[in-house]
Amino acid sequence: MSAPDRTVAPPGGTLRPFDFPSVVRCTLPSGLDLRVAEVRRLPMVALNLFIRAGEAALGEERAGLAVLTADALEGGTKKRSGSDLAEAVERIGARISTHGGWEGTTIGLSCLAERLPEALTILSELLLDPAFPEDEVARVRDQQLATIRQRAMNPGSLATDTARARYFDPSVPYARSVDGSVASVGAATVAAMRGWVEAAFRPENGGLVVAGDVDPAEVESMVREHLGRWTGVPAVRADFTAEPASRERSVVLVHRPGAVQSELRVGHVGAPRSIPDYYPLSIANMVLGGMFTSRLNLNLREKNGFTYGVRSRFAFRSQAGPFQVSTAVGNDVTAPAVREIVRELEGIATDGPTEDEVAAARDYAAGVFGLHLQTTSQIADRVGQLVVFGLPDDHFDRYRDDVRSVTRAQAAESAARWIRPAEAQIVVVGDAEVVADPLRALELGPVEVEEG
Amino acid sequence: MTLSIPFERHRLDNGLRVILSPDRSVPVVATNLWYGVGSRNEPAGKTGFAHLFEHMMFQGSAHVPKNRHFELIERVGGSLNATTWFDRTNYFETVPSHELELTLWLESDRMGWMLPAIDQEKLDNQRDVVKNEKRQRYDNQPYGDWSERLQALVYPPEHPYHHTVIGSMEDIDAASLEDVASFFETFYVPNNAVLTIAGAIDPARALEQAKRWFGEIEPGAAVPPIPGDPELPSLIGETRRDHVVSDVPLPRVIMGFRAPPYSSDDFAVAEVARSLLGSGRASRLYRRLVRERRIAKGVVTYVYPLLSGAAMFLVWATGYPDGDPEALEAALSEEIAALARAEQAEIDRAIALLETDLVRSLERVAERADLLSMFELYFEDPDRVNRELDRLRAVQPEQVRAFTAERLGDDNRAVVVFEPGGTS
Repeated sequence: MSAPDRTVAPPGGTLRPFDFPSVVRCTLPSGLDLRVAEVRRLPMVALNLFIRAGEAALGEERAGLAVLTADALEGGTKKRSGSDLAEAVERIGARISTHGGWEGTTIGLSCLAERLPEALTILSELLLDPAFPEDEVARVRDQQLATIRQRAMNPGSLATDTARARYFDPSVPYARSVDGSVASVGAATVAAMRGWVEAAFRPENGGLVVAGDVDPAEVESMVREHLGRWTGVPAVRADFTAEPASRERSVVLVHRPGAVQSELRVGHVGAPRSIPDYYPLSIANMVLGGMFTSRLNLNLREKNGFTYGVRSRFAFRSQAGPFQVSTAVGNDVTAPAVREIVRELEGIATDGPTEDEVAAARDYAAGVFGLHLQTTSQIADRVGQLVVFGLPDDHFDRYRDDVRSVTRAQAAESAARWIRPAEAQIVVVGDAEVVADPLRALELGPVEVEEG
Repeated sequence: MTLSIPFERHRLDNGLRVILSPDRSVPVVATNLWYGVGSRNEPAGKTGFAHLFEHMMFQGSAHVPKNRHFELIERVGGSLNATTWFDRTNYFETVPSHELELTLWLESDRMGWMLPAIDQEKLDNQRDVVKNEKRQRYDNQPYGDWSERLQALVYPPEHPYHHTVIGSMEDIDAASLEDVASFFETFYVPNNAVLTIAGAIDPARALEQAKRWFGEIEPGAAVPPIPGDPELPSLIGETRRDHVVSDVPLPRVIMGFRAPPYSSDDFAVAEVARSLLGSGRASRLYRRLVRERRIAKGVVTYVYPLLSGAAMFLVWATGYPDGDPEALEAALSEEIAALARAEQAEIDRAIALLETDLVRSLERVAERADLLSMFELYFEDPDRVNRELDRLRAVQPEQVRAFTAERLGDDNRAVVVFEPGGTS
């Protein structure tokens, strides 16, 4: 055997074709959009039910109700107590999760494929006949109030929550924490949850995705049996545009005496999922802060040693979610790190990424696609995104070609449109006595100090 | 159900063990290397070094400039990382399967030719990165020092698990380039490593590629014995406590118990016991403390799979803002003691959950490769991945009861209590 040439990277083969699993789709008479992906690898199945009943449809006085209601679903049904329900789920090795988010409520289920009929029976009971026992509702309310307290005392989540409120106009739901406030959560009642389920938990505009070692026709008949009586259209709707709180750059410093590090968030209102330049913007963001070898990480971590890691992200939602750079840095380098972040935002917005950077990000996005489709849960989640954002059925079949067709000019144009450093809100959670003066000296905008 | 994850086992002339596990259902391959070195190999004054060294492994090697490793893997759409733990350090990439050889080049270059690429500037940079990691994950987090406190109670000062993986910043500051070189020469040798390749591969061809890239690396001497004294009594001998009043949002009680080491047959009993107690919402702690008594906001149980002397059985509960930590601790103690009445039906539930959790994790080639590497490095028995469930299914209720009596009593307990209060 000859010794290999170590001086150059060995050439790869060609990217192997990878077909997104084929999805059988039908709409039940009840209005439920059912999509089944047959994936016969291991004897597993994953299920993802999306109901268009989310926090974005709730006013401030009811903030957190979608999250609470989702949590309380496992508190018991008209036939079984919460403990009996948990016992029934876990005896067959299943995991059921219920989750309230901005766009809607998601119920996830994962189990051995042979257990799907039993698991579906339990899931339909939990969805259609929840009992919301008084003590269980009190429990999830107390848990959520405790979570709100934990968020306020954790520097990272405190920074994120502070930043959100600086990005969005107070009338925009995204300005608040998805968990709601002490006042709104404290006021949530059994009646409010029942009313929410009655009005919002309806199959239309949502969908059920099943992926795994299953036969699509059999799944359809099971779903008809268990969820056939579930009908209707949600009587709630998110109705707002994501207006910013301000278009003037400013700095807010939340004072935590004695903090050994500063949590940083730099961002503004981002872009909705529906923008035509979704792929160019995603590529531009990867170059900025969406990969390990992004500009931000190579600068702040590998060059300067300011941080353990830094990333930038657009939260693509039905309306524009936040665009944000997040990191945590040492006290003494807080101001230099903020300066470098702003500089990188200016660089990408003004000049765009280079040809080579765009090529690298494109290749990354196209190559990593298959890595994220190994498990039944990953596949169910992907198909679920088609439901959530109303994307075309062939979206993922075309994904690799679409992402590979992004040009440098498109990425640069997108970055210039959606990344606006002059409007950035800069949030620092750290020790004001150490970091306030250096931050002022940056002259990036007015510096406001709040007590943490 | 019975698992039959296929694999082949080989050993190169330089001692490198190679495990190959084909699965062609997705065109993805995982390359995974476990080195038999972790924080337990660090002598006094060098804590945190194994982890700092892991960072240095990404700073380039003779033929790979700094940052190129990341660039090349990301460019092909791969993911990569590494982790350091008590007993081992692992490095892994997942890439589209036609790029397997790229990962073998990168991993073999740093196994064989890392030292020529190392300089003071890179060391200083990664020292800063690691210090920021410690601040972010430990120092600037409520409860961030819990593991340091708990380990110090469960293991005596001379024991290799007494100190944390992240180590002390003074020791990190003192690390020199000579330390990096000697650590590399001592531990990063082919005879102290396992390479697993899992995914869309042709095993014969993958073996040939592994030989081609790793075969010429010289073997090293046998790895030196673990410093300090890994032997210790099976019980702590008393209840040790650490009561912390600090700037935390909620009270939290954390208990640690010495448990049979991972290599022991009794470790399976500890795993089943911890599942009965705290895995899932039908577990005893969730049902009693979270749902019925509403004294805990959340509960966690875990058994650290550790090799040297004693593993650690962990139980923790987080209370509510005005909750009394003493009452929370008493409630935990009560439920732990009640495991002395474990029933078969509970074991069945725990096994059912462990079964689907294992199958779910095996859906990813990276997890498959990681388990195969671990079982080869720790037990020279990669087929354990297919027999894990049998080990767990064999556990009888009377074994759980006996484990409770022997291991979970007052004479083998470390308790760290966090109580809200302090600076603000």
